[in-house]
Amino acid sequence: MLDHAKARMPLRERLLDSERLMAETGCYDGITALRLRRQDPLKFETLHTKLRAFCVSAREMARRISASPGVREVGEMVVALYTPEGDAIALSNGIMVHVHTMSRFIKWMIREGYEADPGIRPGDIFANNDAFIGTVQVPDVMDVVPIFHSGELIGWAGAVCHELEAGGITPGGDVCLAQERFTEGLFVCAEKIGTNDEIRRDYVIRCERNLRMPIYWVLDEKAKVASCIDMRENLVRLVDEIGLDYWKQVSKEFIEEGRLSQLARTRQLTVPGIYRGHTFYGHVTAGKPGFQPLGDPDWLYNIPVEMEITTDGKITLDFEGTQPWGYHSMNCTPAGMDGGMFVTLTQHMNFEGLVNDGAWLATELKLPKGTWTNPDNEMVATATSWALLLPAYGVFQRLLSRGFLARGFVEEVFVGQVNSPMIEMGGESQYGTLFGMAHFECAAAGSGALAIKDGLDTAYVGWNPESDMGNIEIWEQNMPMLYIGRSILPNSGGSGRYRGGCAFISTWLVSKSSHLRLVTSEHSSRVFDNGGLCGGYPAPTCQMHRAVRDTNVGALIAARKPLPHTIGTDPHHSDLEKLVEGRHVTDEGPYITAPHKSGDIFTHSYNGGGGYGDVLERDPVKTAHDVENGFLTAEAARGVFGIVLREAADADRLEADLEATAILRGRMRQDRIAASMPVRAWIAEEAGRVAASDFAPEVGKMHANAMRLSRRFASDFRSFWGLSEDFTVSY
Amino acid sequence: MSRYSKQTIRELVAGTLPWHQTRQIMSAYKDDSRFFTYLDVLQERVAWKDRILLPIGDHLFIAETPNGRVTKCECGQEFGHYKQNWKLGAHIRVRRSEAALREIYPNSDIPDPEWMEIREFLCQSCGTLHEVEAAAPGYPIVHDFEPDLEGFYREWLKQPLEAEEARR
Repeated sequence: MLDHAKARMPLRERLLDSERLMAETGCYDGITALRLRRQDPLKFETLHTKLRAFCVSAREMARRISASPGVREVGEMVVALYTPEGDAIALSNGIMVHVHTMSRFIKWMIREGYEADPGIRPGDIFANNDAFIGTVQVPDVMDVVPIFHSGELIGWAGAVCHELEAGGITPGGDVCLAQERFTEGLFVCAEKIGTNDEIRRDYVIRCERNLRMPIYWVLDEKAKVASCIDMRENLVRLVDEIGLDYWKQVSKEFIEEGRLSQLARTRQLTVPGIYRGHTFYGHVTAGKPGFQPLGDPDWLYNIPVEMEITTDGKITLDFEGTQPWGYHSMNCTPAGMDGGMFVTLTQHMNFEGLVNDGAWLATELKLPKGTWTNPDNEMVATATSWALLLPAYGVFQRLLSRGFLARGFVEEVFVGQVNSPMIEMGGESQYGTLFGMAHFECAAAGSGALAIKDGLDTAYVGWNPESDMGNIEIWEQNMPMLYIGRSILPNSGGSGRYRGGCAFISTWLVSKSSHLRLVTSEHSSRVFDNGGLCGGYPAPTCQMHRAVRDTNVGALIAARKPLPHTIGTDPHHSDLEKLVEGRHVTDEGPYITAPHKSGDIFTHSYNGGGGYGDVLERDPVKTAHDVENGFLTAEAARGVFGIVLREAADADRLEADLEATAILRGRMRQDRIAASMPVRAWIAEEAGRVAASDFAPEVGKMHANAMRLSRRFASDFRSFWGLSEDFTVSY
Repeated sequence: MSRYSKQTIRELVAGTLPWHQTRQIMSAYKDDSRFFTYLDVLQERVAWKDRILLPIGDHLFIAETPNGRVTKCECGQEFGHYKQNWKLGAHIRVRRSEAALREIYPNSDIPDPEWMEIREFLCQSCGTLHEVEAAAPGYPIVHDFEPDLEGFYREWLKQPLEAEEARR
């Protein structure tokens, strides 16, 4: 029987009651049987599909209201419906990061007593972009509206758009210069920004006066509110049809069904046990303008991930042994970690699009306090939390894939996503106005390989499942730069039996601006931040930034001489240096320098994915096609893959010499064995280096920090290298 | 419920199944019969007779052998009991110089060898490269996967394994 008394309980009590029931019964809201589903499964499933349709259509409408190419072109938004207590029932397609981040935002307001002050009434609009309340980073601005029926709160509609400009210390939203939250931009901390379905004028004025390009943010607000109202009206009509009592019960059953489905899917696709992996992230900021001297300039982060799958199907991810939070912008909150978990799960296990907060209840994150995953200081910056999130969840993808492989679902094995170096810019636009924006062509990169085929070239990132780089012409409308190249980066996918997807590089000519500030966040080229699988190599590290100032490009164009369209394949002499005169600059790590002006050239590249399987098993015929099409160089085909190519006698194309390839590969295999040594012998040899702390300072600091924060890491480290119980790495 | 022939799974695993069929398999509901068909396909690929219990790599299996449940290369090389990290019984080649890294990354930016090395774990008998770790110097070798083999067969497959000791 439906408990009508609950509807009259203050929201905070309803939330606590729901959590108590979950703890006592192990089932969401104490629902131990899917009564309505059993009664009429067709009605049940149809309703859930209808809710999802409400969300999908509201999102499509919102994309047409937005002015931002990030939302319009790339689809950086998602909308969803929630229970009164803030649990996600149904979501649209889009950035599935926010299944539980908006949930955290709603629950935060409930716990903080918003029902009493500032009140939760029909027509209210609440917004938030504070990651400690519930989002991933400042540019992820979320709006929610309460849904009432017959005077009773029956749920919430919510929408998130990723803003291209957040008003931080540098233009854009992924503000890599932020070392504390005070420089990240415009914070909206769970505020009531509108009443009676209208966004407040004073809020709009605040946005207009604190953002470089408020048209994106303000129109996105209108798009989000419109989509929330659309979902609200559709839901109210639906409840009119099915009845309030039915809605209250079925909305909860949808979530319990989501929990059960996640457990069942895990049991179906994986193998129980402990899975482990790690990745690294390096950052080089020494001497860069703008970085405050709060922390050490250069640093290296290790990100170990241990995944446990129990026989009941529960997945637990444990980040113990990872690094402390720091005075940089790459910290992440538990909400952000939820986001990473969900955007991964929805792409690898919950394919049918019916994911909701039930899946969150079937998983667990262990986020050690004081680390970058769970800072014990709410003043830290989180503006580029994706820098660490993406490598971390790339490990999760590989761990899941190991389970899929063991189970035989080889078609689902996926080496995973890559990190996405972001380029942002601002200053004077080609129209002579102030501008600021993040460039979202990074929403397409090279994916990791699969266990049955190569990765996707220039077509995938983990954080936006609809990965789309957007049309060149759209970006050119929004920034004072013209593309002179958008090209495949050869050899940018990790090598393997199946190679990782290739990345691309953009080359721009600054145009019609005497003040263009370019800023990139994330990455040094010092480490690999994602790996390969089953013998596949990681993709190359992030490319350094190359720019040419005070160029002779005008003269080159007038003389109709060749222009550089990419950096080329010579690691010691780029095409820019070969073809253009001027001041050549190569920068590692974040790109923050003096402004550019018309005539300057700038290049920015994205990442490829890791490879799968042994390189010496790669198909020579396919490789010939790859070399012809610029995905691999002939040098890599021979030197890395052991494939001999030759010009076909009767056609203008390459073909594989299978016999010569077999001979070369046989030799390479023998060379491999000859160049190797037993692992135990290597450990014995290496232990001396470890005992002497013979590391670069950043490496030593990383080990020492991991040992200080995690007893388990310290104990494993000492035991692996045969060190005494009081040993600590010094640096 | 989807169900596929052994031939289809054989081609899927080999990566030779036509894309349109692969795509259909990816989109369809998963076939619950997959695991044992998969084991059959893998078993016919190896020259040895020990029963494969669980694949844990492209050419790496946990097999029931006279030496117990061991991690075993497709060529037959054994790397020790499956509860131990198989990598410790394999061979390693470490790339920690610019020249060694450049062999794999001919035209790209490469990591700083002071910050990162590549560890290649390979079979000492056949030379197959089973796994590559990219790690900071001094980082312990990771034990990738400790399956709950008995729990898997008992709880999920409903075909419990005999106690390991009883078979020795």
